[in-house]
Amino acid sequence: MAVIAGRPKGGALLPARLSALSSSRGGSLTIFIIRRLLWMIPVVFFVILITFFLMHLAPGSPWDRTGGRQLSAAVTHNLDIKYGLDKPEYQQFFIYLGNIFHFDFGLSYQYENKTVTSLIGEGWPYTATLGGLAFLLFVPVGIGLGVLAALRQNTRVDYVTMGFATLAASFPNFVVGALMVVVFSVLMSKWTQHAFFLPSADFGLDDHLIMPVITLALLPIAYTARLTRASTLDTIRQDFIRTAWAKGLSERLVVVKHVLKNSLIPVVTTLGPTFAILVTGSVIVETVFNIPGIGRAFVVAVTSRDYPMILGTTVLFSVVIAIANLIVDVAYVFIDPRVRLS
Amino acid sequence: MHLGTRIRAVALASAGLFVVAACGGSSGTPSANIAPPDKQILRVNTGVEPNSFDPTQETYTYEAAVGRNTFQSLLQPKADLSDVQPAAAKSYDVSSDGLTYTFHLQPNAKWSDGKPVTASDWVYGLQHFLNPALAAGYVDPFFDGTIAGAQNYGNVDVTSASAIDSFLSGLGLSAPDANTFVIKLQHPAAYFKWVMTLWVAVPLRKDVVESAAGGSFPSTDTTKPLAWANNANTIIGNGPFKISEIASKDHVTLVPNTNYWGGTAKLQQIIYYYISDGNTEFSKYQTGALDIANVPLADVTVVRGDPVLSKQAYLYPQLTGFWMDFNSKEPPFDNPKVRLAFAKSIDRDKLANDVQHGTAKGLSSFIPNGMAGYDNSDNTQSFDPAAAKALLSSAGVTADQLNKFKLLTRNSTGSKTLNQFIADQWNTNLGLNIQLDVIDSKTVTSRIRKGNFDIYGPSGWGADYPDQQDWMDIWFAGSCHSLNFGCPTLAGYDALVQKADSELNQSQRNADYLTAQKMLIDQAAGAFLYQPYEYDLVAPYVKITHTAFDDQFAPGDQNYFSAYITTH
Repeated sequence: MAVIAGRPKGGALLPARLSALSSSRGGSLTIFIIRRLLWMIPVVFFVILITFFLMHLAPGSPWDRTGGRQLSAAVTHNLDIKYGLDKPEYQQFFIYLGNIFHFDFGLSYQYENKTVTSLIGEGWPYTATLGGLAFLLFVPVGIGLGVLAALRQNTRVDYVTMGFATLAASFPNFVVGALMVVVFSVLMSKWTQHAFFLPSADFGLDDHLIMPVITLALLPIAYTARLTRASTLDTIRQDFIRTAWAKGLSERLVVVKHVLKNSLIPVVTTLGPTFAILVTGSVIVETVFNIPGIGRAFVVAVTSRDYPMILGTTVLFSVVIAIANLIVDVAYVFIDPRVRLS
Repeated sequence: MHLGTRIRAVALASAGLFVVAACGGSSGTPSANIAPPDKQILRVNTGVEPNSFDPTQETYTYEAAVGRNTFQSLLQPKADLSDVQPAAAKSYDVSSDGLTYTFHLQPNAKWSDGKPVTASDWVYGLQHFLNPALAAGYVDPFFDGTIAGAQNYGNVDVTSASAIDSFLSGLGLSAPDANTFVIKLQHPAAYFKWVMTLWVAVPLRKDVVESAAGGSFPSTDTTKPLAWANNANTIIGNGPFKISEIASKDHVTLVPNTNYWGGTAKLQQIIYYYISDGNTEFSKYQTGALDIANVPLADVTVVRGDPVLSKQAYLYPQLTGFWMDFNSKEPPFDNPKVRLAFAKSIDRDKLANDVQHGTAKGLSSFIPNGMAGYDNSDNTQSFDPAAAKALLSSAGVTADQLNKFKLLTRNSTGSKTLNQFIADQWNTNLGLNIQLDVIDSKTVTSRIRKGNFDIYGPSGWGADYPDQQDWMDIWFAGSCHSLNFGCPTLAGYDALVQKADSELNQSQRNADYLTAQKMLIDQAAGAFLYQPYEYDLVAPYVKITHTAFDDQFAPGDQNYFSAYITTH
């Protein structure tokens, strides 16, 4: 078969072939990662396909107004031409796909002359910083509380920890956020004459972050604590732990080396999706604390039928989630020796 | 969620009936306790980021709040709303046939970069605004219905540069000399002076627009002509302030335009924040991070009972009205008696007190109190359950027939609360069982635009200027489903309003509009409900000229040029 140098025949880079390649050579980590990254292309394609046609199915046009006079037919027709909505939907879809290859995600309908790329570029650093910090807070705190509750099962420590977790999981974000603002920003400043209070809103890499990060991390802390406790209790009762105790190992060694290593596997599974959820933004936290992130931008885009912005953020979210899941899968290799990549 | 709930009705602009008072209990002469320049900072919330800093592309009040301070229109409303007064135009003449408006520009007017403002900048600005390819939201009906040649606005092929160019050069806009700007009209329109107070009718600099676009561009281009408005350095205006910083999604900062013909403002900075959540805005005011804030409906009673906050609160009426629409294309709402029965069975005082916590006043006529055309003598729609029941039975309509109808409601707290109250009123006073149909806002809009509903509300309109024309053309048969969602058949209404629109004799105009409004009330084109009031907090150290009705978005914002901060 004639093969042109440097230009593999169609299908040469397909995941199935790669998979065969990797298994035949014993499955190296690099090939696994490459394969998974290539899989993202069809995943993102189907995300775009489904999102594109679903959002066009949603009733209402981007030019409909909530209040006041509706735009005349002539003006909406000209707007359709301006944003390419005058063409049939399948054509719009292929034009969009073509543009993505040049990293052109189109112009937002909400802001004159602003590209989706620039809007996401402005908003995502805020959202990602906030989500990243919440992740760094919830992982140690959630796991720590869970292990503590499991080791001191049915004691006061257990009840207090789990009581807190139940409360934290039951209070919705918007209640926690608003309560914190009222207590720490408004009431505190009145009582202490501004000697101690937290700023109520806005984004800055300073004490402005404290309340939103706590609000965002509270639910994952509660969830992780409960999950860790259950899985730790499960592990503690296993025979090999009894053996470890019988060998006369210290509590520290038993917990860290034997219990945690096994009980954290289900917890690690949830870290990927949770990380993805955190760094793609929470509309509630961003609204209550007035943070200019993309969590809020996405919801506003949906309610105002800003099609390019909806697609752009959805593509970003799907890529982040895929990568987070990939990292979790790779992490298994190091945590759980039973996991084989092939 | 409160996303976008602070987007008030489109363009509530306009001016005031009487000056109430400078806010915050002034003491001493203005200059005696004025704070040093570094403290002359005013922090306000617009709630939402403007879609553009190009005033011609702005439609909502929160956008025009910025546009009006950075660009200046030819005319502005007088404080008592009786007439217009000079702004960027020093004076203007109208030809005896009412068809030619000649504006004499302020001779010392300068752009924020120091270059003189010329009449050709005005021609360029209006041509930019009226370019159909850019599809600006406020051309129709204000400008394409008045300016000569603009009537073809909707028929221009926007993919053809020559078609656009010939449309734009055919418009009745000319600059006979550097200081004279002339506009020719399609027909006499006594209200045209008010149209020229709108924030969209402003001059633009061709050289600035083209250099920001990277050179000249064809008139079919829809992005290059707007490029200048994305960068603070190229937003060069003729207003008292200029934009110094654009912090996307967070705030925009305005500083004085030292080249402004009227002098330099005292405020050294105006910061417009984009805080969408009303409760967050309120708490920021309480912590001293905002100087002016709107009171959320849920906190109205809290503020009233608070010894400190109640003294900083201002309640003033808006030139806005709300009403309910009945699908008048279908029986039984095609019968005016049925619509009137529904209109007469709403206790509007109870609505204003219970639902709006006193931040509204019942309005059973169309045009709100405070502007030309307000008529409270017509009590045809006033609350009278007995008469309402009689009307229903005389129309021969039974409760069973009416109970299948749903009240279409937007999925927002405000709409749900209001409509629940109104349905309860109908159910109690007319013995009906009308249910709400609550769905997401965009779906509601798409349905009412197609006339696919039974009863919908609240519909509302805020004055762009205090002339009846701005209100009466809503109910034209030809504007069916634009804001006139019920589309009632009103015999003779269109002809009467069009006659008044072109009438040059003001007392005849007023009489005609009054007759037309009587048709709306008597035939219950809508069930007119209430006039909202603004309930705002202003910090005691902020000195603004707060004129009732005269605020586009926040208290005193028509007069930020003269506002200042006192020592505190």
